[in-house]
Amino acid sequence: MAYEVILLTTMAITVLFALSLNVITGFCGQVSLGHAAFYGIGAYVGAMLTKGGWPLLMALLPAAGVAGLIGFFVGLMSLRVRHDFLAITTMGIAFLFVGFVRKQEWLGGEIGISGIPAFGFGRIGLLVVALACAGLFAAVTIYLKRSWMGFGFDSIADDEDTARILGIDVPRFKLWAFVIGTAGAGVAGALYAHHVRYIGPDSFGFVESVTVLAMVIIGGIGSVWAVALAAAVLSVLPLWFQFIDDYKLLIYGLLVFAVMRFSPNGIAGALQSFRRRLR
Amino acid sequence: MLLSVSNVTVQFGGVTAVADLSLQVDRGELIGIIGPNGAGKTTLMRVISGLVRPTSGSILLNGQDVTGWTIDRRVRSGLALAQQIVKPLATFTLAENVALACGSRRMGSPWQAMTTVNRNAELQRGRELLELVGIAAAADDYPSAVPLGHLKCLELARALALEPELILLDEPLAGLNQAEAAQMADRIASLVTESRSIILIEHNLREVIRICPKLFVQDQGRYLDFGVTEKVMANPKVRTAYLGEGAI
Amino acid sequence: MLALDLLLQGVVQGAIYALIALGLTLIYGLLRILHVAHAALFTLGGYIGVIVTNETGSLPLALIVAMVSVGLLGIVIYRLAYKPLLDQSPLVALIASIGLFIAFEEVFRLVFGSYGLSFENPPLRTQVNLGGGLLISHSKLLVIGMAIIMLSILAWLSTRTRTGIAWKATVTDSQIASSFGINIERVRYLNFFIGSALAAAAGVMVALLTNLVEPTMGAVASYKALAIIVLGGLGSVRGTLVAAIAIGIVESFGTVYVGHILDRDALAFAFLVIALMIRPQGLFKAG
Ligand SMILES: Nc1ncnc2c1ncn2[C@@H]1O[C@H](COP(=O)(O)OP(=O)(O)OP(=O)(O)O)[C@@H](O)[C@H]1O
Ligand SMILES: [Mg+2]
Repeated sequence: MAYEVILLTTMAITVLFALSLNVITGFCGQVSLGHAAFYGIGAYVGAMLTKGGWPLLMALLPAAGVAGLIGFFVGLMSLRVRHDFLAITTMGIAFLFVGFVRKQEWLGGEIGISGIPAFGFGRIGLLVVALACAGLFAAVTIYLKRSWMGFGFDSIADDEDTARILGIDVPRFKLWAFVIGTAGAGVAGALYAHHVRYIGPDSFGFVESVTVLAMVIIGGIGSVWAVALAAAVLSVLPLWFQFIDDYKLLIYGLLVFAVMRFSPNGIAGALQSFRRRLR
Repeated sequence: MLLSVSNVTVQFGGVTAVADLSLQVDRGELIGIIGPNGAGKTTLMRVISGLVRPTSGSILLNGQDVTGWTIDRRVRSGLALAQQIVKPLATFTLAENVALACGSRRMGSPWQAMTTVNRNAELQRGRELLELVGIAAAADDYPSAVPLGHLKCLELARALALEPELILLDEPLAGLNQAEAAQMADRIASLVTESRSIILIEHNLREVIRICPKLFVQDQGRYLDFGVTEKVMANPKVRTAYLGEGAI
Repeated sequence: MLALDLLLQGVVQGAIYALIALGLTLIYGLLRILHVAHAALFTLGGYIGVIVTNETGSLPLALIVAMVSVGLLGIVIYRLAYKPLLDQSPLVALIASIGLFIAFEEVFRLVFGSYGLSFENPPLRTQVNLGGGLLISHSKLLVIGMAIIMLSILAWLSTRTRTGIAWKATVTDSQIASSFGINIERVRYLNFFIGSALAAAAGVMVALLTNLVEPTMGAVASYKALAIIVLGGLGSVRGTLVAAIAIGIVESFGTVYVGHILDRDALAFAFLVIALMIRPQGLFKAG
């Protein structure tokens, strides 16, 4: 029972994290190779606050706020650099975050923060909160995708110069995507911190950023359901592979490669062509 | 005065693409801009629309100085353009391409966009506009599946969808055969209303002369002539500029 | 004296970055792919260099074996992994490449063990006096020399030989190039061969400097090389070179003077982000 709860909580948090990047990269077409930084910001803010006596549920708000605020500034940067340049700029932000945290005594430095208080309503309680957050975020993003904002995002992802000629206020749409996406990551991070109850600079490195991007792409850019599914599966895959411990990363790497190589449009693309074949 | 371009100069590095041009457009006018290749016509249009910042000079739209505005802001306040090189959104059907433009004056800013879901009215209006430009049959096709002539019509439909007061068209007739060009020219002429003006950049002199009451002529970035079509075409300076080109 | 010493350190580090990033630039210039798995070829180069040196006692032989075999592997990777993905979004190739990189690192760990290998008789350890008490080891001199030699060969290849001209034409516009009868596919193979061989050379050089190769030594290369080619303007050889040296120097000075606020990687990326905000297209235009 306890094991399943932990597994499901991991899944729910990862799904939220991946869906938050999906708003930026999937909807709006802005590639981020540094999304783990916002996960990290949320985690650190959340952990510091609950260690200072705040209840977790209240700490989620500032976690989202601080991550979203910094996301806003990164969004401003995205107005200046594009495509691969943007991908590498966001990657740079992630390294700046980790490099900064490493040197801050008050954030635990290299050692990180341990002894993060457990959630008041126990493991099951945390699972419920994580599921609720992920579900709510999924609902919000499904709504967004169907709204005119999603229509605008689609046009920006397609060709932002043309979107402008058609009257779309591209900079502000992009900023919104960054704020929504990074705030979501902030919440996911705060939940993560109280799930594992220890965080350090290495919890939010380049690998984590790449992994979450892989989830979005493997799911199939933009599709909320497929990204959620990919995130759920990929988040626990290494755990399922425990029995072949020595080879688990090898298999993980090959799997990521194989999906891209043989189904470049991800799970969503594969399902679509499967459905077409059935007809 | 709907549009007033005052002493605009554009330089790219050492090249002066537009040199000290001024142009006034009133409501309900159809003005043709002509000039040999490289005259700076496209650049002038790009300056008016905001794709290029002028090195000096200013642009007034409806009496407002829009020189520092971004293009999307100008579009939302009444300007539309169809570019020389067609740029459809490749992942949108033709109808969706037009529908986005239909909604963007209202939905161009995020807050309104976030709180509005329904886009049926715009899709419907998009189909109507595609009908108007004669490509209704392709409404549900993707741009990659239709011929260039259709995409040129799509550019026009999208421009109309913005409900603009001023439309800038850059060589809408290029690539069309004689019959198609004549048809398109008539269509363009019919779009001019009391409240809507059109600036037409075109190499097809025959059609320009036929539909445009007034012409603006430039050569190598400089002003040559502006006025009633017959008078302009009788101007020896204009003739030399064109015969020079004709000799090539 | 400290400043000179730091400058020298920065240049050595920059020369290594340049060797790694040059191959990546070549590949990006041609295919617009962010080829992260390039860093795995760098690691493999290091392993082959150490193993062959230990077996035969000859460093030059090891260098040649490493460059040729890794170069060939580069061609195989292009053929099997990237070629089928060329008309997909570049993100697909990026993620595939990351998957490949993870898999490679694991293979190295499984095959060569996780503790790493060293030279039995570390070559070129002796120090030279550059005057004024400035010391530099022979291996560091070799690294700088290698970077200069490789660059000169590359410059010569691209401007003086038919193949090089074909390459440049393909980079500028592959369609026009192919209508002039250039075999684009051959240019791409060659490109991957040269790029990967350069990565292998860099791997051997790092092995020489640190006297250690381990499965994870490509990690830093995987992201920092990306940063360097982006800073250099993506696809510009000259830009890559300048960016590599600049980042090397920023790191060596930065760790001493502001190391208490930011770590080495963060310093490099702070520099990158600031530079990109000022010049959003990188230091140099591609070409
Ligand atoms: N982005 C740019 N950078 C540098 N030079 C440019 C740029 N755009 C235009 N030019 C130059 O400015 C001059 C005017 O070009 P422009 O495209 O405005 O002419 P045009 O009248 O539209 O020509 P055409 O009839 O061939 O379409 C040309 O010499 C062109 O090479
Ligand atoms: Mg033109």
